[in-house]
Amino acid sequence: MQKLVVIGAGMASGRVLEHLKETAPDAFDITLFNAEPRGNYNRIMLSPVLSGEKTYAEIVTHDDDWYGQHGITCRFGEKVLSVDRDRKVVIGEKGEVPYDKLIFGTGSSPFIIPLPGHDKQGVVAYRDLEDTNAMVEASGKPGARAVVIGGGLLGLEAAAGLRLRGMEVTVLHIATHLMERQLDEAAGYLLKKDLEKRGIKVILQAQTQEITGGDQAEAVHLADGTVLPCNIVVMAVGIRPAVQLAKDCGLTVNRAIEVDAQMQTSDPDVYAVGECVEYMGNLFGLVAPLYDQAKVLAKTLLGDADAFRMKELSTKLKVTGCDLFSAGDFAEGEGREDIVFRDPGRGIYKRLVIQDDQLIGAVMYGDTADGNWFFGLIKDGTDVSEMRDNLIFGPAFQGRAQADPMAAVAALPPEAEICGCNGVCKGDIVAAIEAGAGDLGAIRATTKASASCGTCTGLVEQVLSVTLGDDFVLPTSQPVCGCTDLTHEDVRRLIKAQELKSQPAVWQELGWKTPNGCHVCRPAVNYYLLADWPLEYQDDLQSRFVNERNHANIQKDGTFSVMPRMWGGITTPDELRAIADAADKYKVPTVKVTGGQRIDLLGVKKQDLTAIWYDLNQAGMVSGHAYSKGLRTVKTCVGTDHCRFGTQDSTGLGIKLEKKLWGSWTPHKVKLAVSGCPRNCAEATCKDVGIICVDSGYQVGVGGAAGMDVKETERLVDVPTEEEAIEWTTAFIQLYRENGKYLDRPYKWVAKVGLPWVKEVLSDPAERTALNERFEISQSVYRKDPWAEHAEKRAEYYQPLADLTQEAAE
Amino acid sequence: MDTAIDTPARTFIEVAEVWVPDGDKLVLGDGNYGTLDAFAEASRRESFAWGEGLPGKAWAEGRPVVLKAFDGSYFKRTEAAKEAGLTAAVAVPVFSGKVLKAVLVVFCADDDHRTGAIEVWKYSSGVMMLEDGYYGAARHFEWVSQHTHFPHGQGLPGGVWASQTPILMRDLGSGYRFIRADSAGKAGLTTGIGMPIPVPDGASYVLALLSARGTPIARRFELWDARSARVGKGEPSAILTDGICAREGALWVGETEEPRRVAAWQGLIGRVLGTGLPVVESGTPGLTAGYETLIALPIHLDGEIAHIVAWYC
Repeated sequence: MQKLVVIGAGMASGRVLEHLKETAPDAFDITLFNAEPRGNYNRIMLSPVLSGEKTYAEIVTHDDDWYGQHGITCRFGEKVLSVDRDRKVVIGEKGEVPYDKLIFGTGSSPFIIPLPGHDKQGVVAYRDLEDTNAMVEASGKPGARAVVIGGGLLGLEAAAGLRLRGMEVTVLHIATHLMERQLDEAAGYLLKKDLEKRGIKVILQAQTQEITGGDQAEAVHLADGTVLPCNIVVMAVGIRPAVQLAKDCGLTVNRAIEVDAQMQTSDPDVYAVGECVEYMGNLFGLVAPLYDQAKVLAKTLLGDADAFRMKELSTKLKVTGCDLFSAGDFAEGEGREDIVFRDPGRGIYKRLVIQDDQLIGAVMYGDTADGNWFFGLIKDGTDVSEMRDNLIFGPAFQGRAQADPMAAVAALPPEAEICGCNGVCKGDIVAAIEAGAGDLGAIRATTKASASCGTCTGLVEQVLSVTLGDDFVLPTSQPVCGCTDLTHEDVRRLIKAQELKSQPAVWQELGWKTPNGCHVCRPAVNYYLLADWPLEYQDDLQSRFVNERNHANIQKDGTFSVMPRMWGGITTPDELRAIADAADKYKVPTVKVTGGQRIDLLGVKKQDLTAIWYDLNQAGMVSGHAYSKGLRTVKTCVGTDHCRFGTQDSTGLGIKLEKKLWGSWTPHKVKLAVSGCPRNCAEATCKDVGIICVDSGYQVGVGGAAGMDVKETERLVDVPTEEEAIEWTTAFIQLYRENGKYLDRPYKWVAKVGLPWVKEVLSDPAERTALNERFEISQSVYRKDPWAEHAEKRAEYYQPLADLTQEAAE
Repeated sequence: MDTAIDTPARTFIEVAEVWVPDGDKLVLGDGNYGTLDAFAEASRRESFAWGEGLPGKAWAEGRPVVLKAFDGSYFKRTEAAKEAGLTAAVAVPVFSGKVLKAVLVVFCADDDHRTGAIEVWKYSSGVMMLEDGYYGAARHFEWVSQHTHFPHGQGLPGGVWASQTPILMRDLGSGYRFIRADSAGKAGLTTGIGMPIPVPDGASYVLALLSARGTPIARRFELWDARSARVGKGEPSAILTDGICAREGALWVGETEEPRRVAAWQGLIGRVLGTGLPVVESGTPGLTAGYETLIALPIHLDGEIAHIVAWYC
């Protein structure tokens, strides 16, 4: 009988033993080493043991009886010190064992981030029963706190388990969404929401700095200054194959022990299986491929032909009530098409990724029923072109005609719920229509349907249409884009009403039809979010137009224009010298005085942008935001300082206004002007806000235009003091910021809402104060020079990858 | 396994019955009365209007009702219950949206040895508070429970509330050291099963059954997931997601194996799926995993049977 020695009693090697004992029980005399003082257990079920939803006894795969019945010599709790391949012996702490065939099943070790304090008591990994028991022990103290570092599968399972055991739990994750390897942003958002419903705090983009305390870990410190007191720190940031023993005995080891398709290592009598294995550059962490490897290895040992093949993998998170599924490749890419289904009310998100008529990826949250069917389509490379229309609805809908939404609404029974927020059924809406409610507003007023979150608006309109026939005319308001049926106004209202503070939240809760918007809706949603939640929402550069991303206007030859701010149109000899020097230094071909009273440097190369910004910064100048949907210029005349006709200090007021308003984002660009007398040299009466100074004070006009449309401002208010002029102007801008549709200039917005409404709102002093306060809160984030930030942090981004002109010359 | 309970003296629940709407009354559907023939007979003669008796009260008030003293109460079968030695009852209404499908009523008999707990937790002021409960001889545990609350996601009530999913906890006393653990251990409580109880007004209730080694509520527990979002949109079916059995051990399977699945009308769980009503079945060990009695309770969410909780004793 051949001697087989197995190092490691994990799930993969355990499965090898099962296959061997089932097929050829007497083929090998087996000795099994395990450093843990126990045999094979279902390690991936440790999470429910941690949560209390399973016992350890339930997850034992092979107990002492099993090993005894199968004649396996167990050396548990004994570390293997070395392997002498020349003598073919395994040397354990308690002596040598000779082998004919040897299997490495050494698994993996948790990766510990070498943070300051990582070696304190109370810092645990999450790998084995000892770790699990340590966490259970920590949870025994009432009110105990845990910090889990790592928002992947293991970290989140640990967090949920500890929470169920009564701990206050915070998860720290370095990426922008949870489980970023397995989930896209939208599914990650829903998972975060679900975990937060369980009382778990999740901090994304968390930069963990150190763990402090005495001998025992007492707090985790983040780079932003946050301090999280804790009794235990769980590090679940990944695993690394345990390969030192294999390395020491001279086997070929790359990232893990290299094996061929028969699981044979560089030594023909030595095999490896499980997480310690590297096959064709791949490492393994999920159970399904490990079991495949085990099957192949058992056959190989018995002389039967078989070969391990890589397969697509799917993911399951073991947190009760969190249903998610992901498989395949769901990154965005050229030639890939997304199919998205969302049900905001039920927290459901499904996304399929199709390329070349084949399903290549699937992500699901909340409804995973069809996950295995989609997984099969991915694995088999099935041509899905014939089922494209109904694919997202799963196998139950294949072969059916594409659903007609109106027919579906007509077929709904009277008790079918239309508005989940207010519990309004189709029958209630039909009754209201029969009683005279003929449009959406009347339905909202009489039944409250669609009056809360508004996502059922389309459905309510369909009920109106089905009931009234052609008496009902769909409202003419246009949706933001093809990604949604909602209008800009709806989106703005819902972002506020539902307190949506991130793009994934908007996509999911408002039922976006695409994974993450398009070039039309993303800039709008980005603006609405930053305007409504300036402190919570982080501006997304990727959702901005190219000029806003580059902080400069791109010209038709691919160069850029650079325009420093000149407060109120006033400059100095030093500034002019700096501009001239910059123009010389960077060989700027055109220097132009603009209509907004500043100087434009045209023809700057992209790679020179940060350097020219830096030079201008050094001279005290900041970006003029000539590219932004925000405050552009405040044009002024010379006012009382120099002009015979000037009635007030128009230049001073212009500078004050510009210094207050600069940097703020608005739905579209905003231009101001202040003229010192009714002769209006600053052309204030065609600006978004134009102030005319008069002897009695200041006439504030709004809603002017001098572009494709030409329009004179309308008088908002006359005020006696400069302070009031600034207060009213700021309040008007903030009201526009909070209510305007993206890409509507103020004159268009005022035309829609009506100047009387604007006047009514702003004439309330408390409202004006509140608007000014909200504006200042926003400016605490956005009143800053983007040039300075970029010149400092992102210089490398603007450098050319290579100087091809020189290469060509050589 | 340490949750296995062999040859218990008596079970914690003596009687289980299902009352179903028939016109404007509730009439008896299934029932298991054991040897309590007289009480069975009294029950068969009974029916309850809206608000009448214990089942009618659970219907009218749209919430689970715990009744710990029959004398002088609205309870209608007091004499028969007293003769049968029954001292407490819990009525659990089964609603689908606003529609009452049935009322499950379980009865317990007081003595100094019978330990266990049937608890009703309700959301109040941001936490789950004990609405009422029956604890048999576990007096200290009752006191602790009355003075405990569970935030979102914590402990059995908080976990069920946060996930809207039934949860089966093992080792309430020894391994599971949540707030009430010490007391649970002293009371001999081992296994706990919690389930959301949907009611028409949208309030959040959780029913928890805590089982003790000597007088178990059940010797086999099963959690079935029937949500179409999990099992598919074809014919109604359910998969066994968790369970433990005194005889068979763990009833769940690993993630590379297919879980047990039943379709509507397949067996007793299939009957629950088909009818949407609770099932109480006794005297048919071939159908009830070798046990004397099965009680299976459906949980309706979002217009479908979402979960079935079954216990066998």
